[in-house]
Amino acid sequence: MTTVAAPAPARGGRPVPWTRLAWVTWRQHRVALAGVAVLLGGLGLYLLIMGLKIHSGYAGVTSCHPASSAACGLANNLFTGDYYPFAQTMTGFLQVVPVLVGVFVGGPVLARELETGTFRFAWTQGCGRLRWTVTKLALLAIAVTAAAEAFSLLFSWYFQPWFAKGLDGALAPQLFDLRGIDFAAWTLLAFALGVAAGALIRRTVPAMAAALAVWTGLFFATFMFLRKHYLAPLAASGAQASTLKFGNDWSWAQWFTGPNGKPVSAQALNSVIRQAPVSVQGSKNPGAIGAYLSAHHYTQWWAYQPQSRYWPFQFIESGWLLALSLILLAGTVWLVRAKAS
Amino acid sequence: MNVIETHGLGKRYGRTWALKDASLAIPGGYVVALVGPNGAGKTTLLHMSVGLTKPTAGQITVLGSEPAGSPAALDQIAFVAQDAPLYKNLPVADMLHLTRNLNRTWDQQRAESRLKELGIPLKRKVGKLSGGQQAQLALTVAVARRPRLLILDEPLASLDPLARHDFMAQLMAAVAEDGLSVILSSHVIADLERLADYLVVLSRGQVQVAGEVEQLLAVHAMLTGPAAAADDLSERLAVVHARRAGTVAQLLVRNSGPAEPAPSGWEAGRVSLEELVLAYLREPGAAALPGPAGATARATHGAPA
Repeated sequence: MTTVAAPAPARGGRPVPWTRLAWVTWRQHRVALAGVAVLLGGLGLYLLIMGLKIHSGYAGVTSCHPASSAACGLANNLFTGDYYPFAQTMTGFLQVVPVLVGVFVGGPVLARELETGTFRFAWTQGCGRLRWTVTKLALLAIAVTAAAEAFSLLFSWYFQPWFAKGLDGALAPQLFDLRGIDFAAWTLLAFALGVAAGALIRRTVPAMAAALAVWTGLFFATFMFLRKHYLAPLAASGAQASTLKFGNDWSWAQWFTGPNGKPVSAQALNSVIRQAPVSVQGSKNPGAIGAYLSAHHYTQWWAYQPQSRYWPFQFIESGWLLALSLILLAGTVWLVRAKAS
Repeated sequence: MNVIETHGLGKRYGRTWALKDASLAIPGGYVVALVGPNGAGKTTLLHMSVGLTKPTAGQITVLGSEPAGSPAALDQIAFVAQDAPLYKNLPVADMLHLTRNLNRTWDQQRAESRLKELGIPLKRKVGKLSGGQQAQLALTVAVARRPRLLILDEPLASLDPLARHDFMAQLMAAVAEDGLSVILSSHVIADLERLADYLVVLSRGQVQVAGEVEQLLAVHAMLTGPAAAADDLSERLAVVHARRAGTVAQLLVRNSGPAEPAPSGWEAGRVSLEELVLAYLREPGAAALPGPAGATARATHGAPA
């Protein structure tokens, strides 16, 4: 029989420093982080190069004198025609970046350990699984969020001339979530969803797919139904509407009210228009029907959110995204702690 | 100090109890063989001792009174799970560095010299090592943490005979150097016979035998004699398991004290550890467990042979 005279190393005292766990996190996830760096770096480089061109082009347009001359108008049109369509395409493409980054980094964190059985190694080391989980999730969450925010700032700069020209409003759906703090918040949510799905599903690829699906659902629900109700929408009609800066304010719905002040259905409105004289119905002037309708006490209304609500909306949306992400991450930590494998 | 102590410990998966009402006190300083057939609850017990599985019922503490799975306990326990899961995409050197960073105590020099002796290159990826080398690496990494208790779940199951031999040699060297307590499970007792000095037999989720190997062997004997007299003898002695071949019967009996003389007409022989384990496994109703004080062995009658 052997004795218990183990040369006991110093016990008690301080836990494993988090900087060592940071090394572990880096070593295990550096490929995913490098992938993110390549994706964001590549796109960022493109935005930088194009951004410099756009900014210098815009400087040329604004310094053109006299501004009302035909030459300046032509230069302006050429500038917009050269760069604006592709900038718009770019905004569509960039919508998927947060979910790609978040799910790619977050999905494997727990799922790969659970899938390959290495959690039995990782969770029985001296630092304990709680510290292991909290450190990893915190560091990776900060990393992806910070990278996304940096990218988002670069995009804002890239797109700035089109705002200055009044071609787009800050609340425009395809722009709102690429700027401010919203882009980073959506990235954090994708990360948290990936992590949580990994802990629940315990397999990397299905977890990533599930997180992708949930994120996409939330994303579409938000910009189609949710965002316009963060604050009660305003309504503008007739004379007021002419002062609205459409393009800058965000309007998504319009309707007509009848002589009694109540909304009219599209059918009812059509039958009114059909009673109009042929000269109006066949008129080449697009305002003719509108003039006919307003002469008969039909009023057009628009629902809109003014551009001044951009920052309140940013905080509202990022706020609930952040809260949801933190709930998901905390739930994951709880799940890891309580896990009976 | 008990390295593992359980009271009424149970774990249920669905409707099946993987481990039920297990009360056990394994003292420190031993190399403990945890033996039982597949599905006996060995892995469940070991996983509960490091917090990978939560008990459904009862309590389990380790190294005195530390709650199983607590950071204070894990700080002093090295666990090697079945099939030695390590990060296969990492080079060996990074695997060492990673383990070092996950623990407060670490002996880099020892780990490196062990690997050198074993001929495992530091630059090779873990996944490119042979199964035997991966098991050796897992053991090296565990020992370099300088634990007070080393727990190995079926460390030999997937190794060929040569790798088994090398693995046991490394383990014995570690035990001799550090005097650490070891618990290792196996469904093949022959693997552990030379090494273990404490035996725990699990069967169908129950603790059937627990005790120091020497003491267990001392109080058990194999009696060989006429089959016709076997039933008569069974009345008087605690027979664990009986086997008849023609006119000859072999009875594995538990003596109340050591070295009782054999009854007339019977020949008494020593029992090997393997025979002892097999006899108990064949008789799920029999048990040899220490009393509450953990000092005396107690045997109950098995089902009629």
